[in-house]
Amino acid sequence: MKLFDNPIFITQKRLAHRAGVLAPILISALIGLSLLAGLIAYLADPGDFGFRSPQEAGKIFYGWIIGVEILMLVIGGFSKISRTLAEERKAGLWDSNCLTPLKPAQIVSGYWLGSPLREFYMAAVLAGTGLVICALARLPLALWPGTQILIFSTALFFGLLASLVGMAFQKPQSGILIIGALFIFCMPSLAFSRFAVINFLVPIYGIVNFFSDGNYSDRDWSGWPEIFGVSVPPILLSLGLQLVLGIFLWRAAIRKTANPFQPLLLRWEAIAIFALLIVSQQALIWNIWHGGFGLAHIREYQNNFDEGSLPAITHGGTILLGVLILAFASPLPERVRVEALRAGGGNLQMIFSRSAVSLALALAAVAAVASLTQFISSFSDEGIVWLITAANLFIFFLMFSLLLELCRLRFKRRALGFVALWLFVLCVLPLILALVFSNEALAKLSFLAPGVIAVSDSGADLKFLSGVTLAHFGVVVLLFLAWRQQWKLLLDRTASVPPVQN
Amino acid sequence: MSNPLLAIEHLRVDFPEVVAVNDLTLTVAAGEVCGLIGPNGAGKTTTMRAISGLQECTRGSVRVNGHELASEPDELKRQLGFMPDFCPTYDQLTASEFLDHFARAYDVPNRARRIDECLELTWLTEKTNSLCEELSRGMKQRLVLAKTLLPDPKVLLLDEPASGLDPLGRIELRKILLQLRESGKAVLISSHILTELSGFCNTAAIMERGRLVTFGTIAELGQKMGLRRMSVKWRAEGEKALEILKAANVKNLEAGNLGATFDFDGDNDALDELLKTLVVQGVRISEWRGSGDDLEQIFLQSGAKELM
Repeated sequence: MKLFDNPIFITQKRLAHRAGVLAPILISALIGLSLLAGLIAYLADPGDFGFRSPQEAGKIFYGWIIGVEILMLVIGGFSKISRTLAEERKAGLWDSNCLTPLKPAQIVSGYWLGSPLREFYMAAVLAGTGLVICALARLPLALWPGTQILIFSTALFFGLLASLVGMAFQKPQSGILIIGALFIFCMPSLAFSRFAVINFLVPIYGIVNFFSDGNYSDRDWSGWPEIFGVSVPPILLSLGLQLVLGIFLWRAAIRKTANPFQPLLLRWEAIAIFALLIVSQQALIWNIWHGGFGLAHIREYQNNFDEGSLPAITHGGTILLGVLILAFASPLPERVRVEALRAGGGNLQMIFSRSAVSLALALAAVAAVASLTQFISSFSDEGIVWLITAANLFIFFLMFSLLLELCRLRFKRRALGFVALWLFVLCVLPLILALVFSNEALAKLSFLAPGVIAVSDSGADLKFLSGVTLAHFGVVVLLFLAWRQQWKLLLDRTASVPPVQN
Repeated sequence: MSNPLLAIEHLRVDFPEVVAVNDLTLTVAAGEVCGLIGPNGAGKTTTMRAISGLQECTRGSVRVNGHELASEPDELKRQLGFMPDFCPTYDQLTASEFLDHFARAYDVPNRARRIDECLELTWLTEKTNSLCEELSRGMKQRLVLAKTLLPDPKVLLLDEPASGLDPLGRIELRKILLQLRESGKAVLISSHILTELSGFCNTAAIMERGRLVTFGTIAELGQKMGLRRMSVKWRAEGEKALEILKAANVKNLEAGNLGATFDFDGDNDALDELLKTLVVQGVRISEWRGSGDDLEQIFLQSGAKELM
């Protein structure tokens, strides 16, 4: 079935048109024409403006076009798709559509491409105006197509993500909250230009790179990124990352539509997504040390930021990504109980294989191997640093997965609050106490500390950090015992249910 | 019974802390309307959602016209129409656009004609171009019923279909259900308003707390429950009639001048014998009516507690 025959697409189009598309298109046109008028005014009388050349003026005006376009298409589209899906799920229309013989791919593509049509029209008008601006200002030929490809591919990528958000969250406003959180999360990565994988996934680097003249002031944003020392065009890196991750998102959306009881991510998909992002991140910073972390770093040029902070930032980012994936991939205890019932009873081995704890081990192993690439040449001298970092990853992921499931088992609907409380106690409270009592040693007790300190402070007391890591391991063992006890109770409850006679 | 179009075997659905449907087995054959009866929380809606695949089953199997839910969900979707207990409509679409959406989704041949037929069947022809948001709850209910009938499914699951309908609408719904029954559809219809189901259900399944309390034809259920509330009216020889009834050990006898009601716990032959005795003894019977096909009576006697 073609897209234009897809009933979901047709209905979304009808809904978009019924709500009115003329006014939004006119608003876009007004914004675009205002910027175009500004450029024309400059070209007619350059004296009234502070630009050095028509190209500089063109880039500024086209930059505004791109900013508004991103706002409308990427952010507006994301919010629209997730809201539409959440509302239709709430209203029961999603169920009605899923009960028809439509294929899951038709349902997903109908919402994905049909729901943000108004935003698409607005972006298309702006893109058209942008083309005129680029032509009038005689901007480089690659600028307009390159930036537009990146914007539209990002809109498609985020559209898929929005579809999953709409399928996973009940509240229509979840989408806007999530995209807000994503952009706040992206902000610090702006400081690390081509060394942060997030700047390629959200193709900030690729877009800014098209505008770059290679001047000293924008040297962080000029040139190509390097993957394990090999230069790659930023647009290709962005499109490649979005394509591979987009395939995983598409698979997840299709699977969830075909069977809403399936988890959002299969285990191997969760591991693959994590591996892709973490290996890409390690590959982007590889060229700083060339595998000789801890030795004097051998860069030919300097950036506007301290490159020495990158491993610590990468370590923190790895933990954050792992925690997000574990939170999404962790099965609800009730689901595991039902599976145990189906299997005619369960045991702890089955629980372990299905729970997030085994996934945590896999993610930590992937992250540890990826970080090892930075130590290939310096392992004999700096191996202990890697060991502490790897142990920290294992301990943190295990702690989080055990805590999450333990709280879900023990506190049920109130679990999230208790997880947040315990994460605060284990990770943030030591940092606050260190500030209050002006005692650095207290900060090192945080579950985040050993890995971050080991890779960022060359003079760190590694013995002390090893001791803290051991203490953290003890906490994990205690959590494991409590976790096992709670699962045992749940399994006992399952076993007490009289068997159904099949 | 002919081959069932809908066959549910040992269905079980688990919710946290509760077994919503437990070991449910029932069948609905072509030309049968089965009433799924039970108080709120009995598991009626969960059963319907599980049959349609919207609710995950812990165990058991669901077959629609021979197609297994677990292994042939796509085939099953073509044979099944599910009308939920609320009215999911696109508020900003017109009634015909709403039906067009689903007609396209089901790839219904002669779309426009079929949409008109379904609108006419549900008395919504006048509302063809009205936005769904302008329709009353009852009209939306009928529109969703039209949507359910659109692909002409063999099996229909109707969850509280009359809940938003006015008395006239309920009468019309009854007519539609009788038509569906005549046309050989298998219909599973849930309600806790029992009088809605009386008159067109051939079979009934009574649920309570996720379990099937009883299932069978209305007549079978009446007999199984041992309840046969009878009503008799006579023109003359009333005293003699009462003597005969007392001698037959009927229960809860309530006598009036020209008639009586009583509970009879014998089988059909015994009841026929009682009527014969009355006639032979000269009682001039003007009315002899059993209320054993009353779903409300069946429900009350089934052990289900919370009748709405």
